[in-house]
Parts: sequence; structure tokens; C-alpha cells
Amino acid sequence: MSDYVKYSSMSEGDDFLDPVPSFKVTAERVNKYIKSTNDGTQQLTVEDGQGRRVAPPMLAAVYVIDALRTRVGPPGGIHAKQQFKFHRPAYVGETLLTSAQVLNLYERKGRKYVEMTTETRNQDGELITSGMITRIWGKEA
Amino acid sequence: MTELQSYEGYSVGDQLDEITQSVDQTMINAYADASGDINPLHIDPEFAKTTFFGRTIAHGLLTLAFVSRVLSAWNWQGWAYGGELNVSFLGPVYPGDSVRVSGEIDQIEKRGDGIYARCQLACFCDERTVVKGFVICKISP
Repeated sequence: MSDYVKYSSMSEGDDFLDPVPSFKVTAERVNKYIKSTNDGTQQLTVEDGQGRRVAPPMLAAVYVIDALRTRVGPPGGIHAKQQFKFHRPAYVGETLLTSAQVLNLYERKGRKYVEMTTETRNQDGELITSGMITRIWGKEA
Repeated sequence: MTELQSYEGYSVGDQLDEITQSVDQTMINAYADASGDINPLHIDPEFAKTTFFGRTIAHGLLTLAFVSRVLSAWNWQGWAYGGELNVSFLGPVYPGDSVRVSGEIDQIEKRGDGIYARCQLACFCDERTVVKGFVICKISP
């Protein structure tokens, strides 16, 4: 039995993540991300007007991919397209819940593609990020 | 929607301040660690040799982190609170590449809830375009 999702097991309209995984936004995770991306944005180093530490908008790349990893494809898959709408940044201390749905499955030039919509809300249901990701599926053994 | 040529210091044709970021395997490994995306295509040279690319490549979302740095410096409020990003990954970033991120405002429009600017974005490694797309951010209060 493989330890990844088979392309043939997915259908358009499927809820890809069930149950919806959670992601805790910690100062450690944010600091590590900022350091790894060499991001010196000043607003990320201070608290906002309400005493909250703001996470980089593109931390979405971490919590969305973290969620999708729970149903990962075979090794070698790559990112083809990405859309994000940042409704607001996440704050340190929040717990994020990301849902995803398979929108389209198609093949082009011998490569298999998966298009998924994602939606991330915090623990109180506030919308943080929505997006669409297109991945080229890795070759299955 | 009404199209404008300029608004409060923003004009169609304005170039965003570019950045150039060098990428090496150490940075890719650090991003893999920070993001949890440990696809062997990014971090395992032996596995990567067996793929179409023949060697490791950076995560596409690492390149988007550089895009985010440019957009944060340009218009933090509009980017982090409501920014919409739409990009395609056109080519790989290899260890040893330098990624140049550029952007230009190509549209300013008045919507019901404010003024928005659209910027065309591109990331280059030398003459190769590796990411292309656009972002829409609010530029009015």
C-alpha cells in the first residue's frame, strides 16, 4: 500500500481534507519562516496597534501546504500555479483551519494536474486566506 | 468600475522597487525546515537526479516569499489586508541562481469600496522568467 494519495482516487468536488487539519501560529514558526526567506519587513518585527504580532502574508504557503501534506501526492510533484487572497494576516497565537476541495483534474502533455481551492479560517471562523493551487502530480510507482 | 491614470502618489507605469535574492541549497533546506515542505525534489540531490530537472530546485513558494517582500515594501497595508495574488511558475530556480523580482502598476481602478492598483509581476533568473503573474492591492484608505 502506498503512503500517498493515488491520482485515480480523487474526484472533482471532493473535500480533499477531512477532517480539516489545524495549524498553530507560533512565534517560533513565524521567526523561522522570516529567517528562511530573508524577510526584513519592518511590520513583522513589531506588534500592531492592538498588541498583536502579525505573521507574514505568505506564511499562507506554510499553513496551506502543511494542510495539504496530510494527503500528499507522490514525491516529485511540483507547483504550477498559485492564487491567494489575503483577507487579513494571521496573528501569532491563532489556530488556523484549512479546508480544500478538488476543483479540476486534467492531463496535459502527459502530465497529470490537480487544481484545488483552499480556504483558511481561524479558530473563531474568521476568514484569513482563500486560494487556488494547481499542482503537477508526481509520478506514481 | 472607473479606470484612473493615477491616485495619491500611485501612477500607471510606476515600477516597484526591485530586489535580487541569491538562492543556494542552504537556503532551500532552511525553507524546507521552516515550511515543513520536505519534497525530496527540493532537498535530496540523489532523488532530484532522477527527475526531469536533474538536480534540486527551490520551492516555488520560496520565490513567492521574495515577491511578498517587494509587495510589503511597496504597500504593506494593501498587500497584507486584502491583497490578491495570481501567479504561474514557469521555470525552476536552481541552487546558485539569483532571483530578481520586478513589478509595474498597469491599472488603477475605482471600485465601490475604494481604489485598487494592479501590478504585473515577474521573477527572473538571469534572462529566464521563472514566475509571472499579477497582484491587486487596495491603495486608498
